[in-house]
Amino acid sequence: MADVFVVASKEFSDIVRSKRFIVLVAIFGLIMTAAMVTVYVSIVQTMPTAPGGPPMPQRFLGTVAYMLISTMPLFGAVMGVALGCDTISGEREKGTLKIVLAQPVFRDTVINGKFLAATLAVSIAVFITSLANVGASIMILGVTPTGEEALRLALFMVFSVLFAMTYYGIAVFLSTVSKKTSQSVILGVTVWAVFTFVIPIIATLVAFTIAPPIIRPPSPGEPMEMDIESIRRYTAIVETISSITPNHHFSKVGQYLLNPYATTGGPFPPQPAQEAASVTSSLIYAGPNILVLTIVTTLAFIASYMVFTRQEVR
Amino acid sequence: MEYVIETNDLTKVYGSGKEAVTAVDHENMRIKRGSISGILGPNGAGKTTLVMMLTGLILPTSGTAKVLGHDIVKESLQIRKKVGLLPEGFGFYDHLTAKQNLDYIAALNDIPKEERDKRVGEILKAVGSDGFKDRKVGGFSRGMKQRLAIAQTLIKDPELLIFDEPTAGVDPEGAKAFKDMVSKLNKEQGKTIVVCTHLLFEMGPLCTDVAIMNQGRFVVQGNVEEIAERMMAEEGYRIEVEARGDVGAFVAKLKRLKEIISLEVKDDVISIKTMSDVRAEINKRAAKIKGLEVLSIRRLEPSLEDLFMKYYQKEIGVVAHG
Repeated sequence: MADVFVVASKEFSDIVRSKRFIVLVAIFGLIMTAAMVTVYVSIVQTMPTAPGGPPMPQRFLGTVAYMLISTMPLFGAVMGVALGCDTISGEREKGTLKIVLAQPVFRDTVINGKFLAATLAVSIAVFITSLANVGASIMILGVTPTGEEALRLALFMVFSVLFAMTYYGIAVFLSTVSKKTSQSVILGVTVWAVFTFVIPIIATLVAFTIAPPIIRPPSPGEPMEMDIESIRRYTAIVETISSITPNHHFSKVGQYLLNPYATTGGPFPPQPAQEAASVTSSLIYAGPNILVLTIVTTLAFIASYMVFTRQEVR
Repeated sequence: MEYVIETNDLTKVYGSGKEAVTAVDHENMRIKRGSISGILGPNGAGKTTLVMMLTGLILPTSGTAKVLGHDIVKESLQIRKKVGLLPEGFGFYDHLTAKQNLDYIAALNDIPKEERDKRVGEILKAVGSDGFKDRKVGGFSRGMKQRLAIAQTLIKDPELLIFDEPTAGVDPEGAKAFKDMVSKLNKEQGKTIVVCTHLLFEMGPLCTDVAIMNQGRFVVQGNVEEIAERMMAEEGYRIEVEARGDVGAFVAKLKRLKEIISLEVKDDVISIKTMSDVRAEINKRAAKIKGLEVLSIRRLEPSLEDLFMKYYQKEIGVVAHG
């Protein structure tokens, strides 16, 4: 019986040599680097004559790492969909699936091999793009991560891979049930757009309709008044609805890991914690979100596996 | 008799309710070891579904089957170890070379790396693809891909080879090369070969055994000679006698034979249709006529085309000629 590594090594080689992989890594690597340049230029332009030179950020986390939190969800999702959308349908269309399955190989070996290869390729992609960010941070801004920051960054990279694999799992499932790759690509992009744009908009609209935040306009000589309870209700509804998307959970993981001052909630508006949370505490805060991402990825994989192993090859 | 394929009431129904389509309908088939068997029939006859069930790529709705002694449902992996399948509508990884494609197939068959290189080289040479082993498959012609497809079936040194529509879309030269290769594999290496095709006239003559399939059922199956014999027994034997001399007297004597169905004379050739093989009797009567020289007595065997015309077209309600 063929080993899963036979499939994985061929698939890995195919992925990392594919134009789409190279192009995506290059684009996001450039974005990460360019972002640091933009930060530098804006600081220099804003306060060019500050004593002692323009005030560069002192900490990696909370400042430079913000770029990772904002860019990685896009990168992870696009990478996952791009790699997964033709996993099965592409092979079916090209007729290679028949040739492969005519060999003494279990179907789960095929799908496991593909999943393993994608995990490895995505890990490399995440590593390269994160490295572009860190490298640019060191070289352009002179901000070097400390040991703990490096650990937090490494953990964030691990969960970025998990997030990309969530989208990969969804894309593989769509590729398994679709007859054509064009169909699975459209479905994959639709799912991504719904999770990224549509649901957050719906969440905002619903929250605004059910529990609009009460903000009283300022009276002359008095500051603007906010009804904290109404804003808390509003935020809770937005977060509850958004929690059906993997993006929401990944965003939370990113905030907890890359911003040690993030709290688990509490009174609104959130007050920064007085002391930075330890790495363990951040992981504990992010635990439920990590769990959700893991469950969604696993379910997508199981669904793909179940459909694929029962599918008739004609 | 040892059979490499045996099916018992093998059935495949796609869909359910009003949408249900029976692709293979309670088929009972036997394929002899060492034969070249043709499963012949038009498109949509159920040939591909049958082949896919035999290799475990599609599960049967009911019935059982064994390939090389292995159950098609419970032991399909064992079957795929020993069967080289060239599926209809096959494809290769275009971005890989011929050698890389075969190497992957060999790896999937658990062939050790050191042996793989040697075997891939030998097989590419055997199928005449040695010259373009390092070229990417994306640039291959249909004929070149077909050779590579045959190579991938041979990489595991299979006991049984199944080719599904192997020459569809291939030029005559490629089709001839394929037939020569099949014949060679059968004669020199003793491989059992099953060819599914709708191209009866192209592939049929290669086969020692045939099964004519239509609408999921075998209309007729067996050894080509035996089927021909059966057809002759049913429809009469055609005997052609070429003679010189007193042909008129000879014809008169022949007409008295009770087995004669019809008799025609054209020049010195007498075409006879009889109920049984009466060549010995014809010889005997010819010997009694002085001055008659019998140049030849031949029994005209029905061709595969004739068999197809009789059994397939009869099945679909078309009146066959002759």
